[in-house]
Amino acid sequence: MRLGDRAFVLERRPTLPGLYGLVTAGVAILLALALASLLFLPGEADPASAYRIVFTYAFTNPYGLVATIHRAIYLLLCTFAFLVPLRAGLWNIGLPGQVYAGALAAFGVPFLLRAHAATAPSLAPGLVVVLMVLAATAAGAGCAGLAGVLRARFQVNEILVTMMLNSALFWLVADFIKEGGALMSATAEGESFVLPPFLQPPTAFGVPFTALIALLAAFGLDVLFARTALGFRIRAFGWSPPAARYAGIDPVRLPLLVFVVGGAFAGLAGYHYFGAVPGLYKIPSNYGYYGDLSFYGIICALIARGTALGAVPVALLFAGLSLGGRFAQGALHLPFGVDYAMLGLLMMTFVVSHVLYDFRLGERLAPRPPVPEVSAERP
Amino acid sequence: MILEARGITKRFPAVLALDRVDLQVRKGEVHAVLGQNGAGKTTLMNILFGLLQPDEGEIWLEGRRVQFRSPHDAIAHGIGMVHQTRRLVPAHTVLENIVLGHPSARGVLDLHSARRSVEALCRRYGIGVDLDARVWQLSEGEKQWVEILKALYGGARILILDEPTSALTPPEVRTLLNALQVLVREQGSTVLLVTHKLPIVLRASDMVTVLRSGRVVAHLKTQTTTEEELVRHMIGRDVSIRASEAAQRPRRPVLEVEGLSAYNDKGVLALRDVSFVLCEGEILGIAGVTGNGQDELAQVLSGLRPAAAGRVRFEGRDITHATPLQRWRVGIGYIPAERTTVGSIPAFSLVENTGLGYHFDPAFTRRGVLDYQGLERITRHILATYDVKAPHPYVSAQHLSGGNLQKLVLGRVLLRRPRLLIAHLPTQGLDVEAAAFVRARILEAKAEGAAILLISEDLDEILSLSDRIAPMYEGRLVAILPRGEADPETVGAMMAGLRPKEAVR
Repeated sequence: MRLGDRAFVLERRPTLPGLYGLVTAGVAILLALALASLLFLPGEADPASAYRIVFTYAFTNPYGLVATIHRAIYLLLCTFAFLVPLRAGLWNIGLPGQVYAGALAAFGVPFLLRAHAATAPSLAPGLVVVLMVLAATAAGAGCAGLAGVLRARFQVNEILVTMMLNSALFWLVADFIKEGGALMSATAEGESFVLPPFLQPPTAFGVPFTALIALLAAFGLDVLFARTALGFRIRAFGWSPPAARYAGIDPVRLPLLVFVVGGAFAGLAGYHYFGAVPGLYKIPSNYGYYGDLSFYGIICALIARGTALGAVPVALLFAGLSLGGRFAQGALHLPFGVDYAMLGLLMMTFVVSHVLYDFRLGERLAPRPPVPEVSAERP
Repeated sequence: MILEARGITKRFPAVLALDRVDLQVRKGEVHAVLGQNGAGKTTLMNILFGLLQPDEGEIWLEGRRVQFRSPHDAIAHGIGMVHQTRRLVPAHTVLENIVLGHPSARGVLDLHSARRSVEALCRRYGIGVDLDARVWQLSEGEKQWVEILKALYGGARILILDEPTSALTPPEVRTLLNALQVLVREQGSTVLLVTHKLPIVLRASDMVTVLRSGRVVAHLKTQTTTEEELVRHMIGRDVSIRASEAAQRPRRPVLEVEGLSAYNDKGVLALRDVSFVLCEGEILGIAGVTGNGQDELAQVLSGLRPAAAGRVRFEGRDITHATPLQRWRVGIGYIPAERTTVGSIPAFSLVENTGLGYHFDPAFTRRGVLDYQGLERITRHILATYDVKAPHPYVSAQHLSGGNLQKLVLGRVLLRRPRLLIAHLPTQGLDVEAAAFVRARILEAKAEGAAILLISEDLDEILSLSDRIAPMYEGRLVAILPRGEADPETVGAMMAGLRPKEAVR
């Protein structure tokens, strides 16, 4: 584009300043909030006070804050489930299926041990909780591992397989918790049984131990990719499978491994939301809503540019906005779906900010207009 | 003067790629642009073709100042470019590729009249390409013809050819040079020939502009110059191109290959019943034209492709089915032909690229943690001893020129002191100086006792380095000749498929 004697071109930035990344993220958030304020116009309050309601509920209200943290842990675990295969160049779109598998396995443990009724269990309750966590991670890992095996051995597209597994697992959960399913609640309301109090894991300030796992994992994953030989292999495979093979990296085991690790995180996310969050302790009838929510893990991973620690604030923001938006929707009689609309806008402004992060508008002196202007036609 | 560049300057981050470059091209001449890798040849051509914008300087076409904002503008002004890398749609036919992007192809496609004009072009220049073949079925040389035809069909009067001979076999090179003569003498077109090959310049061009480190260092009439003069301009000093020779007597066998066969990606048996023994301190040169099974041989020996039949033994151990990692560990080094897609990862830093050869080495991992400091030390060592020109070890590999990248890959492999080195096209696309450097290092490894399988399409390279020479044709080794019996004519005839008796006459 030319303005006077200046020419403007879009060019790739030579280096990526770190601070600049934070600034663009901040601008993206403000822009999304500005755009989303249009959503509040039909309501009873002006955008400023509406946002006050969203943010005070999400981040200062004691109930809201705890709910935000619960949701952020869930999103973070889903983020890791997507991020680990992503670094190997593979797309794990099976987050809901792996979450469902984790939830089913977690609730299957007390059922099989006959500890789901309020009677004394045959094993120590702490041990049962540990078994539930292990079963959930194993189930998520197995579910994703199936996609990994098909991908690695038979070159079946992992996106297709994981998407189909999502549907299969969704109905499998329905089969287990509805209409006489094994895990159905005694009242047959289309939900699973509620975990008895002795199987409800301990919390600190209302936050279960899964928070610690998620934060340790965030730190551990960044160390894994930056410092370890395994992380190096995963990154090498992600950039170039032929070069990775040449360098001696196993082209079957590595894709399988990243899917298994990713799936384990998703399975853990399933345990976290249904088995560890106070006030729930069951697979609710609207479990599909939580499954859909897991897809925001993909967005978090992409926005955080593949860094696990960078995903922590993003997950907190997404969790807070979705809960605060839902709360404001009720408080201000806003149209349905304000929370999702805000997340959607945020997604879009983040994508735009990435373009601005990677490219810049270069300005340079335009060459003086050519003496005889040559037409674009062939002479 | 049909095309003129005046004071073209182009800066890339940390690199001055072109420094006030002037270029004058007369109508109806073949104008060679000569220079080593990284001299700025391709950058200059990309600017003339509108792919890049100069930071300073002007382009004049037939006495008028022009500005190309994109290749579209350049094409509209009658400039065509054939790149080093192919830009064709593999699933489409030759004709469809030629017509693609042509103004007449908008709206209703008239393939019949297009076919007539393309066939006329083929006849005029003596080009034989099946217009209905799918592009993926073609050889590299044929694909290049398609691109040349595409440029001509698009009405190019000035044709830019970037390293056009690098993918061609000797007969194909001859056809190309003949076609260029027809183009220039009979059609009055102008050809800009970008190359680093001296014989091509001397044989085909009228004028030559020599670039060194982004500057024009000479502008010469080809008839009055010599190979020595061009080398001096190109490199800035005299170099001896001949590699030193150390007579070594082969000793213990390192690699024993028996009846080895393998399929290619299309499921065709591309390697057929190959047998040979390679001893320590010996170089066996596999000579052949692209696509005669050399890729498959290198890949099977490095563990990247399964063997369909036969046996491979390394120092007495059967490694026929060993994985690439197992082969690295026992001391087999492989320099792949595809240095940017297999040999290195362009987005990785040089340190990480070095890591590709060390991540499995216990000396560089402690409890699973990779010793990046150790890798940096090795990288610095490679940069220094292998004469790799790079600003620092953390620059990403994509910023390195082909020659520097190859030296890095070579250093990474040789530093492990492999007892068997498989070098596949180790000097392809390198300039004279870098190629001589790579060859010298290969000879050094041989002197230290490594067994070396040299797979090359450069017959001079094979003949000057190898102790024994095995011409390859359609997946078979035609013969294994001691160096004394291998003259270029015999080996060349065997590469073309003549069996020993006929070849020797």
